[in-house]
Amino acid sequence: MDDLLQEFIAETRETLEALSGEIVGWEADPSDRARLDSIFRFVHTIKGSCGFLDLPRLARLSHAAEDALAAVRGGDRVPDSALVSAILAIIDRIGDLVEAIDAGESLDDGGEALLIAALDAAPAATGAVAPSTPALPDAAALAAAAQRPGHKRSVRLSVDLLDRMMSGVSDMVLARNQLARHLRQIEDPRLEAMLERLSLSVDELRDTVTRTRMQRVEALFSALPRLARDSAASLGKSVTLVIEGGDVELDREMIELLRDPLVHIVRNAVDHGLEDRADRILAGKPGTGELRVVARQAGNLIIIDIVDDGRGVDTDRLVAKILRDQPSRAAELRGLDEEARLRLIFEPGLSSRDEVTALSGRGVGMDVVKANVEQAGGRISLVNRPGQGLTVSLEVPLTLAILNAVLVDAAGTRFAVPRQSVDEIVAVDGGAVRVDRVGTGSVVLLRGQRLPMVALGDLLDRAPAEPPRYLAIVSLREGRFALALDGVRDTQELVVKPAAPAVMRAGIYAGQMLPDDGLPILLLDCSGIAAKAGLTFEQAQVQVTAVAAAEAVRALLFLDVDGERRLIVSDAVDRIEKVAAGAVRALAGGTWLTVDGRSVPVWAGQGVVAETVRTVLRLQADGLELAYPVEEAIEIVPLPNDLAPAADPHGVIAGLAVIAGEPLELVDPLALFGALPVATERPLCLLHGSEGAWMEAFLKPTIEQAGYKVVRAIAPGQRAAVALAIDEEADSAPTPALRLSRTRGQPLYRYDRGALIAALKEHRA
Amino acid sequence: MIGSLHLVARIGGCGVLFDAERVDSVVEVGAVVPAPGASAAVIGLAAMRSRVATVLDVRALLGVARCPEEKRREGGRAVATIVDGHLYAIAVDSLEDVSTFQLGAAPAGLDTAGDWDFVTGIGEGQHETLLALDVDRLVVRASALV
Repeated sequence: MDDLLQEFIAETRETLEALSGEIVGWEADPSDRARLDSIFRFVHTIKGSCGFLDLPRLARLSHAAEDALAAVRGGDRVPDSALVSAILAIIDRIGDLVEAIDAGESLDDGGEALLIAALDAAPAATGAVAPSTPALPDAAALAAAAQRPGHKRSVRLSVDLLDRMMSGVSDMVLARNQLARHLRQIEDPRLEAMLERLSLSVDELRDTVTRTRMQRVEALFSALPRLARDSAASLGKSVTLVIEGGDVELDREMIELLRDPLVHIVRNAVDHGLEDRADRILAGKPGTGELRVVARQAGNLIIIDIVDDGRGVDTDRLVAKILRDQPSRAAELRGLDEEARLRLIFEPGLSSRDEVTALSGRGVGMDVVKANVEQAGGRISLVNRPGQGLTVSLEVPLTLAILNAVLVDAAGTRFAVPRQSVDEIVAVDGGAVRVDRVGTGSVVLLRGQRLPMVALGDLLDRAPAEPPRYLAIVSLREGRFALALDGVRDTQELVVKPAAPAVMRAGIYAGQMLPDDGLPILLLDCSGIAAKAGLTFEQAQVQVTAVAAAEAVRALLFLDVDGERRLIVSDAVDRIEKVAAGAVRALAGGTWLTVDGRSVPVWAGQGVVAETVRTVLRLQADGLELAYPVEEAIEIVPLPNDLAPAADPHGVIAGLAVIAGEPLELVDPLALFGALPVATERPLCLLHGSEGAWMEAFLKPTIEQAGYKVVRAIAPGQRAAVALAIDEEADSAPTPALRLSRTRGQPLYRYDRGALIAALKEHRA
Repeated sequence: MIGSLHLVARIGGCGVLFDAERVDSVVEVGAVVPAPGASAAVIGLAAMRSRVATVLDVRALLGVARCPEEKRREGGRAVATIVDGHLYAIAVDSLEDVSTFQLGAAPAGLDTAGDWDFVTGIGEGQHETLLALDVDRLVVRASALV
């Protein structure tokens, strides 16, 4: 966190310096839109950083200034001189606070509330603005700051200087290698020892210098888990953050430029993208939202995808919002296609949200994000899946990166392939693979899977290739293919730089590298090769869906009360519940669990001692309930397809499944229910309409407690005693329906449990 | 009119001039690694100290036969220049001189608005006409060569 703080201070200081000219200019001409935008960006960025650096005072100040500036940008306020001086006073104060933080001192917050108040008061009372004489730290304080122990100092250097340093060190490494080759021929042990020492310090120097220029992408991601967690917590949401590809090393410059956009996008995704827990369940999604941040290299680009599984962007609302603010654009907006409508999100001053939240404010300046990414020479693109989520992709040019590469021989030359995209390398004569010629191309049969093979020689119209000796199995997002190789050398971490356009024209290279032997290597772009070879990967996609479908059956592995480990299909288990001592008792010839004022039958087949039960599996099927006592639930495992049938066809064991080499009994939930005493016939309650799933998820226990059996559809010959439907759908129900309202305060609000039970009971009576 | 400093070189027998301002250095190219699939003018890549240069053969642009494949790999003399941040080494037969030239207009027969746009003018050498080349346009043309 200290590093982040130092960076924040350095950056703020620098921006303030650059901004001072803009501020003066804006003061002279408050209607200057460009200056207004850059000042807005500044306070917006400060606000963003303060949130997770935990600097509440700065956050308060910048939030207030941002609010006022947003009103000006939105045209709701005219920037008069009072407002300008109030904003300037706040910016001065931000500068003072940042210096104070850097010096590790506290600055009394006298007048901060006044400064904020001045913003609101500005249009009315011009004279009331509290004059701000920025309390510059005096000389003594500065001296004290300089002497502080443990104060981490930093300087800013030009990238050009670092680049020269880096190429200087690389020159030195190559010269050392040459020297070493010659000295080895002399065979003088003293010389060799000296060379060894030189060699070590050169390597160390190279590592250090590389570190000045390069940073792992991880550094960019390290703040995100905390950010996502805090953002979600402040909104009462929950989110899991998945980060992939953090081990690529990138140009520090690029990492700096991407930091803010990434923070904004992640925060946006949590705030605007992910729904509340209840809404997610309602939409049939897991209650916890998922946010994936994935960095990958493709061609000569580094791509960072931020994928959420939230609600996506409602482009209709976006258009409506712009139309409300700028009615003159109606004709233009009507003519836009879906993609153009989505890109409206990048318009300045736009809020896709109607309320402003403390977290991200107003639609969090996607215009700011876009400007930052484009400044880095990058591109931002969106894939909107309404109701399913949004993918934001940041593409930045691979100016400089360190990649782990496999060096291979192909088409008579040495190439590098990114380690990340190679699944495995197989030797053709090893017998594990077979290469078949099919038409003009070849396919590879590897462990029952057929993959297209690409030979670089054929692809580039060079001499007909010899049969390959090795195959690199390359895995792309679209599918997998085999790349024919003549030889495999080793793996090296190498700096990748962009290749010249004349070389990139080939369409199969991602960049060039220079290993220590001084011979350049071209880095292959695997997706470029696949595209050039005209590979299509439909087959692979079909297989993926097939696998996904076959994965559906999962089982819960648990320790039963008799000490055996058993399995039960996890869909049959409604939940795993801890019960209080004495909640399970043997009564009335059976064993019963008392919970929520009701009695639920307990399966006693494994010789359970009622008083010792602490954990039960609550099973539900077709309106029946059952508690299955267990010692503990262990884990969820995929259920194998092959089950050995049980010896006793009437028992509650459906068969034997082998999990991790251990044969386990699979409990048959239907047989458990079959053994239950028949429950008295309950009247049916039909959950009608499009919200049936939600009602089943939320209301079923309540309805059952009121004495009904819950169904989603009426089977032939059945008759529902009552139906439940959301207000607007109630009229289409086959039986008289109770109307649930979506609005709090209306009769029978859908989350009002007490009212619902009362209404159902009344209906029954 | 004061002339400017130019490098006199010979490419495929043609005498050419490079603006000395735009020449990074004159180098002896070592082993060249091929870059299959790249533009036809690309001989390959070579290391110049710790930097990687794209080695170009511009003979085809000048209307003379390209160097035979096997000879290209051996490297040789080249003029190094940086265009758009990329380092190029333009292969030459030999380097003859550095001197000041006053450039004249290119001959009317040369299509300097089209395929020969990399020729900026001509200089008078010893008993021959030298073509003054613009390295930026030359590299762009060479990159597009099929």
